[in-house]
Amino acid sequence: MTIAASTELICFLILSVVIIAGGIGIVFLENIVYSAFLLGGVFMAIAGLYLLLNASFVAAAQILVYVGAVNVLILFAIMLVNKREDPKPIKGLQLRKIISAGVCAGLLALLIRVDLTTPWSLPGPTSIGELATERIGEHLFTDYLLPFELASVLLLMAMIGAIVLARRDVLITDVGTGKEVNQGLIEKATSPLLIDKNSSS
Amino acid sequence: MPCLGALFINSQSLTAPGELLNLSLNAWAIAPEGAVLIAMLGTLLVDLAGEKAAANWAPPICYVGLLTALGLLAMQWNGPLESSFLGAFLSDNLAIAFRSVVALSTLISLLISWRYAEQSGSPVGEYAAILLAATLGAMLLCGATDLVSVFISLETLSVASYLLSGYMKRDARSSEAALKYLLVGSAAAAVFLYGASLLYGISGTTNLQAIGIALITSPTPLAALALVFVLATVAFKIAAVPFHQWTPDVYEGSPTPVVAFLSVGSKAAGFALAVRLLIGCFGAFDNQWKLLFTVLAVLSMTLGNVVALAQTSMKRMLAYSSIGQAGFVMIGLVCGTEDGFASMVLYMAAYLFMNLGAFACIILFSIRTGSDRISDYAGLYQKDPLITLGLSLCLLSLGGIPPMIGFFGKIYLFFAGWADQQYLLVIVGLVTSVISIYYYISVIKMMVVKEPYEASDVVKNYPSIQWETLGMPPLRIALVTCVLVTAIGGVLSNPLFQWANSTVAGTPLLQQAIALGSQINIG
Repeated sequence: MTIAASTELICFLILSVVIIAGGIGIVFLENIVYSAFLLGGVFMAIAGLYLLLNASFVAAAQILVYVGAVNVLILFAIMLVNKREDPKPIKGLQLRKIISAGVCAGLLALLIRVDLTTPWSLPGPTSIGELATERIGEHLFTDYLLPFELASVLLLMAMIGAIVLARRDVLITDVGTGKEVNQGLIEKATSPLLIDKNSSS
Repeated sequence: MPCLGALFINSQSLTAPGELLNLSLNAWAIAPEGAVLIAMLGTLLVDLAGEKAAANWAPPICYVGLLTALGLLAMQWNGPLESSFLGAFLSDNLAIAFRSVVALSTLISLLISWRYAEQSGSPVGEYAAILLAATLGAMLLCGATDLVSVFISLETLSVASYLLSGYMKRDARSSEAALKYLLVGSAAAAVFLYGASLLYGISGTTNLQAIGIALITSPTPLAALALVFVLATVAFKIAAVPFHQWTPDVYEGSPTPVVAFLSVGSKAAGFALAVRLLIGCFGAFDNQWKLLFTVLAVLSMTLGNVVALAQTSMKRMLAYSSIGQAGFVMIGLVCGTEDGFASMVLYMAAYLFMNLGAFACIILFSIRTGSDRISDYAGLYQKDPLITLGLSLCLLSLGGIPPMIGFFGKIYLFFAGWADQQYLLVIVGLVTSVISIYYYISVIKMMVVKEPYEASDVVKNYPSIQWETLGMPPLRIALVTCVLVTAIGGVLSNPLFQWANSTVAGTPLLQQAIALGSQINIG
C-alpha cells in the first residue's frame, strides 16, 4: 500500500468515526446546544469526506450552506427560545422508545444486508477534480435547467411566506364588510367528541 | 422502446461542453406553467398597492392566468411527444390530464377562498400567490421525468402547502397543523431523497426512463429498497394508510379552502407522481409494488371509511373520506390495464367536482355561522335550501349513488378491477362504499329530516342570506358549477369517458405498461 493510499484510509477512518460518534451524540445528548454544536462537527466531517473524494466544490458548498447557514440558524433558534420548561411526561415513553429502536435496528440490518448482497461496480467513476465546478455549471444550464429555474420560484415563495407568517402589522378589518376580525379560522374551536357526549347525557 | 432508452443514455453521456447547448429545449411544453407563474408575479405586484387593491385585482389576475393555462393545456392535447428540457419534462396526455385537474382545482379553490380569507382578515394577495406557487409545483410534478425535477417540484408543492396550512397565524390550531405537516412532510422528503440517491447510485442517471431500463437489466435488492422508500413518499402525498396520520389534524387546522386544494390538487399530483415513478421507473418490480399498493389500498379504504363514521367535525369527516377515496383510485392504478388507468383518470376528474362542491358548501356554511360541526347542520333545509341541496348532491355522489358522476366513476373503477381479477380490492371497495354511504347519508338526514323545532341553535339563529359582499359571488359561481357538474355530469358522462380513454391512448408510458401486462396474461 502506498503512502497516499494509507493516508487516505486513515483520514477516512477518522472522519467516519467522527461522523458516527457525532451522530449518536446528537441524538442522545440531553442539552440541545451540545447537539447543535455536534451537528456542526458532523457537517464538517462530511465535508472532509467530500474532499477525500476529490470533490472540493461540493465540500466548500457543504461548509458554506450547512455549517455557515443551517447550523447557525439552528443555534439562533435555540438562543431565541430560551424558555426553561420541563416537558410533560409522555405516557408509555419506554415502550415507544423500544418500538422505535426496534424499527431502526431492523432498517439498519436491512441496509447492511442489501449493502453486502448488492454487486457494486467498483471502482466507481474517476473524479474530475477541479473541472467539477465547470461541469456542475453546465448541468445547471442544460439538463437541469428546469429544476434550477423552479428553485427560484420555490425560494421566492418561501421568502414571501416567511414574511407573511412573521410580520406583525396585521389586518384587523374585513376588506369586504369593514368588520373587525381576528385572523383565526372561521370555524370556532369545538370540544372533542367524548366531552361533548358526557355533558349532553 | 429499448432503442429509445439507449438514445437517452447516449444523450446523457453526451455532456461534453457545448454539445448539449445545441439541442432544442422544447420549452413550449411548460407554457401553461408560465401562465401560472405570470399570474403569481402579477398578484404579488398588485399586492404592493395595498390590501384593498389586492382584494379587487388579485382575483381577476388569477382567473386569467389559470384559464390561460387551461387553454394552453387544451392546445397541447395529443400534441407531438417530445421530451422537453433535455429529458426533465414530458407533456404527454397523462401529464396534461393531471395538470388540468390541478389547475382546475386551484381555480375552484380560489373562487371559494376570497370570502373566507377576507372574513378572517388574512392578506389576500400573498395567499393567492402562495396557492399559485403550489399549483406550479404540482403541475410540474405531473410531467416531471427526472429525479431532480421531481424532487424540486415536490418541494415547491410541499413548502407552499405548509405555508398555506399555517396561514391563519393567530389561530393555534392552524399553527399546529402547519408544524405537524412540516415535520412529517420533511421526513417524507428525506426518505424520498434517500430512495432517489439509491436509484442514482444503481443506474448512474437521474432520468426516470433510463433508470427503468437500468433496473430491468440488473434488478438488485438495493432497487427493492429504493422502491420501498419512494413508495412511502408517494403514499404520504396521496395520504394512504398507514402514511395518513398527518391528514386529519392538518385538514382540521388548515383554512378550509386550503383543505379543498390539498384534498384534490395535491392528491392528483401525488397520483401522477405514482404513475411516473412506479410504472415508468419500477417496471421491473411490477409484482412487488402492486402487492404493496394493494395492501395500502385495502387499508386506506377500510380505515378511512370506518373512522369517518365516528367524526363530529365536517372537515375531519371529509379528511377521512378523502383517505378512503384515495384507496378507491388506487384500485385503478393496481390493475394496470387500459380500463384501470382510464378509470383512475376519470375518477380523479369526478372527485374534483364532487369534493370541491362539498367544500364550497361547508365553507359557505361556516362563513355564515362560524361552525363546522355536523350536529349544527340540523334542520338546515328550512333556512338555506341551496347549501342543503348542493351538499346533499355532492355527498351522495361521493358515496356513489346512481345518477351522480361519482357513481359512474366508481362503477368503472370496480369494473376495471373485476376484469383484472382484483377480487379482494373490489369486494373491499364495495363493502366500504356501503359504509361510506351510511355516514354521508347521516349528514343529509341531519339537514333534511329534522323538524324545525329540532334544528340546532346555529340554524335557528341563521343570518339572512346575502350575496352582495365582496367575494361572495365567486363562491356562488363555484358552488353552482360544481354541483351542476356533479348532478348532470353522470348522465352526460360520455365526453368524460372519451377524455379518460384518450388520455391513456396518448401516453406511451401507459401503453407500454398495458402491452407488457397483457403479454404476461397471455403467456
